[in-house]
Amino acid sequence: MINMRSANATILISAILISLLGILSIYSSTYQKEAQDWPTYERQIFWVILGLVFFLVMANLHYRRLWDVAYFLYASALMLLFLVFVMGAVRLGAQRWLRLAWFNFQPSEIAKLIMVIFLARYFSLKSVDNVSSLVNKSGILRSLVLPLIFMLVPACLIIEQPDLGTGAMIMAIFMAILYLSGVRLRQIALFLGSIILLMPVGWHFLRDYQKERLLVFLNPNIDPLGAGYTVIQSKIAIGSGGFLGKGWLSGTQSQLRFLPEAHTDFIFATFAEQWGLLGSLLLLLLYYLLINQGISIGMKTHDNFGRLLSFGISAMLAIQVCINIAMNLGLAPVVGLPLPLMSYGGSSVITTFIALGILANINKTRGVF
Amino acid sequence: MRNKIFSLFLGFIFLLIIFGLFNLQIIHGRNFKALSQKNCIRLITQPGARGRILDRHGQVVIDSRLSYDLLILPDEEGRIDKVLHAIAGVVGVAYSGLKDEFIKGYLSPSIPVTIVRNIDMKKAIALEELKPNLANIVIQPHPLRDYPYASLACHVIGYLNEIDRWRLTKLADYGYKTKDIVGFGGIEEKYDYYLRQEEGALSVEVDHQGRFTRVVGFRPPKNGRDVQLTLDLRFQKIVEDSLGLRRGSVVIMDPFTGEIIAMASFPGFSPVAFLNKSSGYISKLFNNPGAPLLNRSISGVFPAGSIFKVVVSVAALETGKINLSTSFLCTGSTYVGRQEFSCWDKHGRQGLLSAIAHSCNTFFYKTGILLGAQNIHDYALKFGLSKPTGIDLPYESSGFVPSPLWRRLSQFRNWFDGDTANLAIGQGDLLVTPIQMARMMAVFANNGWLVSPYMVKSVAGQNIEHEQRRLGKISLKQATINYIKQGLRQVVSDPSGTGNILLSLPLGIAGKTGTVQVAQGQPHGWFVGFFPFNSPKFVICVFLEHGGSGYMSCKLTKQILEMLKQKGLL
Repeated sequence: MINMRSANATILISAILISLLGILSIYSSTYQKEAQDWPTYERQIFWVILGLVFFLVMANLHYRRLWDVAYFLYASALMLLFLVFVMGAVRLGAQRWLRLAWFNFQPSEIAKLIMVIFLARYFSLKSVDNVSSLVNKSGILRSLVLPLIFMLVPACLIIEQPDLGTGAMIMAIFMAILYLSGVRLRQIALFLGSIILLMPVGWHFLRDYQKERLLVFLNPNIDPLGAGYTVIQSKIAIGSGGFLGKGWLSGTQSQLRFLPEAHTDFIFATFAEQWGLLGSLLLLLLYYLLINQGISIGMKTHDNFGRLLSFGISAMLAIQVCINIAMNLGLAPVVGLPLPLMSYGGSSVITTFIALGILANINKTRGVF
Repeated sequence: MRNKIFSLFLGFIFLLIIFGLFNLQIIHGRNFKALSQKNCIRLITQPGARGRILDRHGQVVIDSRLSYDLLILPDEEGRIDKVLHAIAGVVGVAYSGLKDEFIKGYLSPSIPVTIVRNIDMKKAIALEELKPNLANIVIQPHPLRDYPYASLACHVIGYLNEIDRWRLTKLADYGYKTKDIVGFGGIEEKYDYYLRQEEGALSVEVDHQGRFTRVVGFRPPKNGRDVQLTLDLRFQKIVEDSLGLRRGSVVIMDPFTGEIIAMASFPGFSPVAFLNKSSGYISKLFNNPGAPLLNRSISGVFPAGSIFKVVVSVAALETGKINLSTSFLCTGSTYVGRQEFSCWDKHGRQGLLSAIAHSCNTFFYKTGILLGAQNIHDYALKFGLSKPTGIDLPYESSGFVPSPLWRRLSQFRNWFDGDTANLAIGQGDLLVTPIQMARMMAVFANNGWLVSPYMVKSVAGQNIEHEQRRLGKISLKQATINYIKQGLRQVVSDPSGTGNILLSLPLGIAGKTGTVQVAQGQPHGWFVGFFPFNSPKFVICVFLEHGGSGYMSCKLTKQILEMLKQKGLL
């Protein structure tokens, strides 16, 4: 019991520490340029507090309830994404946001989590005691084709926004859950192979800026003032941080605005410039602790739904963290993925806290059965 | 099993990211640090003023004045209009004119636009007072060479221009850079290292649009050092006015120290033209066959003519070939071998003193033959001919004294007595500069010392005369010097002396005239002398290129000395 509680404490403390580092970085990259009534960092504080409330709610809501409402959640996610498609707010050339009373809501964030819940539900049984995997008995239609279709509908809606990053992430989560739910490797290989074969075709469906970004990823110097600018500036910011960093509020790259999106997608570069390798390693450690807790909870959970859910949530966080940092380091193409808990943005922060709340609840309640 | 693989895979990805971070921050950290500084640090140079050039009494000959430029950092469109309106009121230029300048000069939001050039100090101060309200105006002082006397002493001073490739390779080790403004010719070139200013710089931090955020460091500019000349501005003005538009050169020197009191050369040039970059005028200067950029006083080489007879006389007296009682008969011409050499007049029987006074060629033909060419050559070298005098001005010519050996070695021809006769009256291959002649004359004024002429008295208030003054004793008998001095005096005092016109001056001048026959055009005219005779204070050398005769030079000398006297300078 004490052990379980300490796992939850680790999750909560890591999450709060990461959020605090995020707020510091947001402050450092925005305090000079704003004359708003409600500065960005204060709004982020608000989102984190709201996220903590959601965390507590979810940690006390039995996760099996999610099994029951999974299809309903899936349907409402599709609804929201469709609404975005019809009446979403256009910002930075993309239609990703729903304008609510006084803030913008990004449904694709919550859709990621809902896909995790839905896929965990799909590959598990109602009965808690039956731990035998479902997919081994069923054919390819039940184990691969049907879930693929369920996944592709929201994924395509998101890619169409256009938000290639989140779309690709949902596919990656799908792959991870497919693998963990025991689908035959042959079938996964088939799926992977067909994706690779479809890639050249998919190239023609990409927007120009997306093609540009992929080309620039291969060589940022082909367009140093255009598409390659961000990656070059981000690498300079991180690299110039050195071992100890330039110190808080002394990052020239982020504070003199050479680095675009310094408080959202490229917040890691902002952070690494000011805190150096030492700070970055601490941040990575915190993320690793968080994700590792999720995995160890999954391993201890015998209930298939709970297991897939914890792995799915860990995979979701891990993929976002890894892709975002890799993209900051110039090791992955630039896609619009936030760094969970660090990047500014209410939708992302709250979604992440909800996901962590579910993890905490799985950890707390699995022993009861 | 699959759970394990999944978590191992995650760990592997994290390790990969850590490796990426290490690569960027530690292995390439220094490069990226340099790049980030290059991103945000800009250097704004702050020019200093070039050192002034003063005359011997501290009067400013060449000045450096500050001129101010008004620059505007482009910002939002609406604010520019407000700024321009405010400026228009102070500067007294219409708003629309300023707006036109702004539109013409606008390049990008980060580059300041020069709106008004060369504002005087009062307006600059008034604009500076506007600054608290208008943050984006910049007043940039830049020092400019000022020539209060236009082209006065232009050859001595030189001019300023952008450094050329030859000078750059020579001077790169001393911190000179491309686009530097350096001196060309004269004091500006010779003392450039002292005169030149040191640039200061303001290092500022800018944001991604190149907008100023804060000052990081400042090094104040250093002005160049002032150079004080031995030149006397009043003498220089009179000399140049008297020379007028005649091609030639005038040098006035202190015979005991070598200080140059005045040095003029015509044709000259206007150094301001190089500042204004008036290319038409400049290319005309370079293509002019009259060589206006040439300082004839030190770089022009001409035959010495009869002036050289002084050297021959000294050589003959010193070697004992003749004495004061030696005399030759001048019948208007004489034969050397089978060739007839003529004198310019029939002088009758001439002793040394009267031969100098009348500049009798026959006497010197015969003396020269007695002496031999090698002796003449050796004594010419004793007087410092055939090598530069060492004056502290660039591009001095060395002149030339021929000798039989030289003729053999470089022209593969024999030296004949006819050549000796020619050399004895300063014709033929002999070439001298006016400054060499002045220096030669100084030997008699100061009783046997060969001085090194110099132009600069002190640098940055520090007297350097003790380094400039270099005297060398010429081993001559005092009697020889006295005889020659007597002869030189007779040139003026003898009623039929060639310089008799100068007798009317109450100064007691002594000297030697010279008329040089040239292949084309009028003969050159020389007068080299010193005054007052009993206690010499000045040596003067007047040379007129194609001026007609030595008589013309005497007339010019008279004019100069009269003017000096009139101004109370003598």
